[in-house]
Amino acid sequence: MATESSESEEEGKITGGNQHLIVEDDLREMGKKAAWSVSSCKTGNGVSSLRDDNLETYWQSDGAQPHLVNIQFQKKVKLQLVVLYVDFKLDESYTPSKISIRAGDGFHNLKEIKTVELVKPTGWVYLSLSGNDPRETFVNTFMLQIAVLSNHLNGRDTHVRQIKVYGPRPNPIPHQPFQFTSREFITYSTVR
Amino acid sequence: MKLKQLYVLLMRLAERFQMVQLVIIFLALFTDRKKSAIHHFRLALSINPLLWAAYEELCVLGAAKEATVVFSEAAALCIQNQYLHHGLPSPNLHMSSEDYNLVSSRNFGSEDVSPRKLKHTQGNNLRGIPGNHHGAVVLSGAASQPQNGGPSNMSFYNTPSPMASQLSGVAPPPLCRNMQPNGSNLNTVNTDGSPRSIVNSTIQAPRRKFVDEGKLRKISGRLFSDSGPRRSTRLTGDTGANTNANTAAVAGNGTNNSSKYLGSSKLSSVAPRTVTVRKGQSWVNENIEEGIRNEAFDDSCANVASTTSSSFSSDNVRSLDHDGATVLVGGVVVSGAKAVSGASEVLCLLRTLGEGYRLSCLYRCQDALDAYLRLPHRHYNTSWVLSQVGKAHFELVDYLEADLAFSLARQVSPYSLEGMDIYSTVLYHLKEDMKLSYLTQELISTDRLAPQSWCAMGNCYSLQKDHETALKIFHRAVRLNSRFAYAHTLSGHEYVALEDFENGIKSYQNALRIDSRHYNAWYGLGMIFFRQERFEFSEHHFGMALQINPCSSVIMSYLGTTLHALKKSEDAIKIMDRAILADRKNPLPMYQKANILMSLEKFDDALEVLEELKEYAPRESSVYALMGKIYKRRNMHEKAMLHFGIALDLKPSATDVATIKAAIEKLHVPDELEDNLSTE
Repeated sequence: MATESSESEEEGKITGGNQHLIVEDDLREMGKKAAWSVSSCKTGNGVSSLRDDNLETYWQSDGAQPHLVNIQFQKKVKLQLVVLYVDFKLDESYTPSKISIRAGDGFHNLKEIKTVELVKPTGWVYLSLSGNDPRETFVNTFMLQIAVLSNHLNGRDTHVRQIKVYGPRPNPIPHQPFQFTSREFITYSTVR
Repeated sequence: MKLKQLYVLLMRLAERFQMVQLVIIFLALFTDRKKSAIHHFRLALSINPLLWAAYEELCVLGAAKEATVVFSEAAALCIQNQYLHHGLPSPNLHMSSEDYNLVSSRNFGSEDVSPRKLKHTQGNNLRGIPGNHHGAVVLSGAASQPQNGGPSNMSFYNTPSPMASQLSGVAPPPLCRNMQPNGSNLNTVNTDGSPRSIVNSTIQAPRRKFVDEGKLRKISGRLFSDSGPRRSTRLTGDTGANTNANTAAVAGNGTNNSSKYLGSSKLSSVAPRTVTVRKGQSWVNENIEEGIRNEAFDDSCANVASTTSSSFSSDNVRSLDHDGATVLVGGVVVSGAKAVSGASEVLCLLRTLGEGYRLSCLYRCQDALDAYLRLPHRHYNTSWVLSQVGKAHFELVDYLEADLAFSLARQVSPYSLEGMDIYSTVLYHLKEDMKLSYLTQELISTDRLAPQSWCAMGNCYSLQKDHETALKIFHRAVRLNSRFAYAHTLSGHEYVALEDFENGIKSYQNALRIDSRHYNAWYGLGMIFFRQERFEFSEHHFGMALQINPCSSVIMSYLGTTLHALKKSEDAIKIMDRAILADRKNPLPMYQKANILMSLEKFDDALEVLEELKEYAPRESSVYALMGKIYKRRNMHEKAMLHFGIALDLKPSATDVATIKAAIEKLHVPDELEDNLSTE
């Protein structure tokens, strides 16, 4: 799993952040297949800044809290990890503080699956969607909503510089119950 | 459309001009007139049996006859006749700088021939040092009309004569030797140079017959002062077959140890592709050519030997007159009689090489390997042959051997790009990312504009799982050469990895349009349809792939799974067994068979197969996981637990961890129920 630079004792609080985005090999970014939308934005700082792989540009909301980022897929997908880039040093009162992640089939039946509180984050923040149960490693859903409930220093609007969503890699061999792990199997399993 | 009109026009010209034949061939291929192309190739080969390029293309199209038929003794006679009929070779042999290794010089009389169309140089190994020609020799075998009395498809060996005047100061290209046949003077000719290479009495016999070497060296020294050292060592070995004809008899050509020239060995035909005629310095094609040629002369050609030797040293280089009075071969005048012996030798070599190539195009890889092993050492250790050997191992899914063969090929000829795309795939399969990046760097620095280099780079990125970049790079390879089928196939694979099936299908279809015998593309299409659960299509495509490459156990096993999905489980099991037999090292068919048996509820059989598989791959998590699943179905919970535990220890992927753990949880429930029941 992606490492967190530090995690405070209390559950749900995350401090600090990584400067580099390091994700395990068996995860892949799923955001390209989704439709992204936000509850509000300032002109010039729209939703595209969340997905442009540029940490200089950011999304700035422009309305009432909670500020929402909606990620909708065309079919149910398994998701495991959400990563955000937020920086207290750059954004100060715009930095999100309380974040809630909801999942569901659509706007009508979203259910909260994770809440987390960020304390002066400075980089990539990893939010795992897995539960404790091994059967809950992934969240199988049509839609994910990331809600910014409050900001640092009680700011009204929020800045988020980048968001990435990860899910497991599919089995390279279709219709197989399990993935191959050893070299011999993998070598023989496809023709290139 | 324009191409069609051009085609028609060329057909009319073909009767008159030989070189047109080859142009037609390529045009026909471009316009998908496969049958016509095959017909013309065969025609070309019958007219000029030394036209290796034609044979090679026929192999690729899957329509080649056996090498022994094509490169037979009769062919030798045919060549001889051509020789005798035609007069002097015109001095315009023009060595095209591109790949013509062998350009058979044709005499076009006054015409300047520029057969450039031929990409492959003709079979004649002309190691030509085109003494005087700079003209390209036309390779097309077709038209036999001599123009101006004399051009023939025969390659002419030109021995560069010291009379530089005619030589136009061109260093003899390594390969071409133009021999200017001169009917009248044939008797006097003795090809000193050529004989050397030609005679190879046995394949094993070291070709080197140093007998004449000394003489040749002297002669060649006189002839070419500036020729650089040639790699002729291989060739030199050629026994002194005196065949003048074939082998670049260039004895004289001092530059390379003429040995190379000898005889046929020089037929660059074998792998002309990357051969560039170097002005005398580089023997590009040496690799293959040499090998090939030399080979050709073995065995059968032994007889040729003696004849020419005598006359050999005598005449040094004589300039090739344009009037073709004398045929100079390596400075020696070649006699007509020698021509046929030379031709036979060359043909011998071509026979072996041709057989090997044909078999490997038919994917009868083990036989192809055996055929190549029959080559003498010198010929075997040439870049083309080693590349082909590597390819054969690759098709047999023996990646370690393939790696060895290809790395040897690179040592032998580090600048050759032939087959390097396959080498990169081999390294991809072996997951050797260091070697692969190194190979990529070398290839790019050798030739930035070759699709093979970019294919290698794409494979490198794909190994790092960066499929988008890999895709961009494969597109670049396609743009560099849109007729390079493998680049299309690889793009297809990347699209599939990115789950963009539509574009994947398009890419594979592009590949198939270029080369309908590219079984990887058929396989790729089959896999896409399999994923999309369009099993009938998938079955058809896997079937086509298997038809082309019947010994691939991987394709067989996928066909089996598809059949099972179509509920034809009996056939599925049969194919799986075939696959298991075809390649014992491949664990995939056994695993799939176990899967099928499990879904047919034949648990014991499935377990048996898996136990066997455990021996083969003891650290494969999925085997244990499947066994655990089967035990669970049989309600043998303890065993199931045990196997699931082992499976988890072997670090499966995250999804599988979840599945296995979930399965373990479920295992407890029935236990509890039982307990409850028992206590009641």
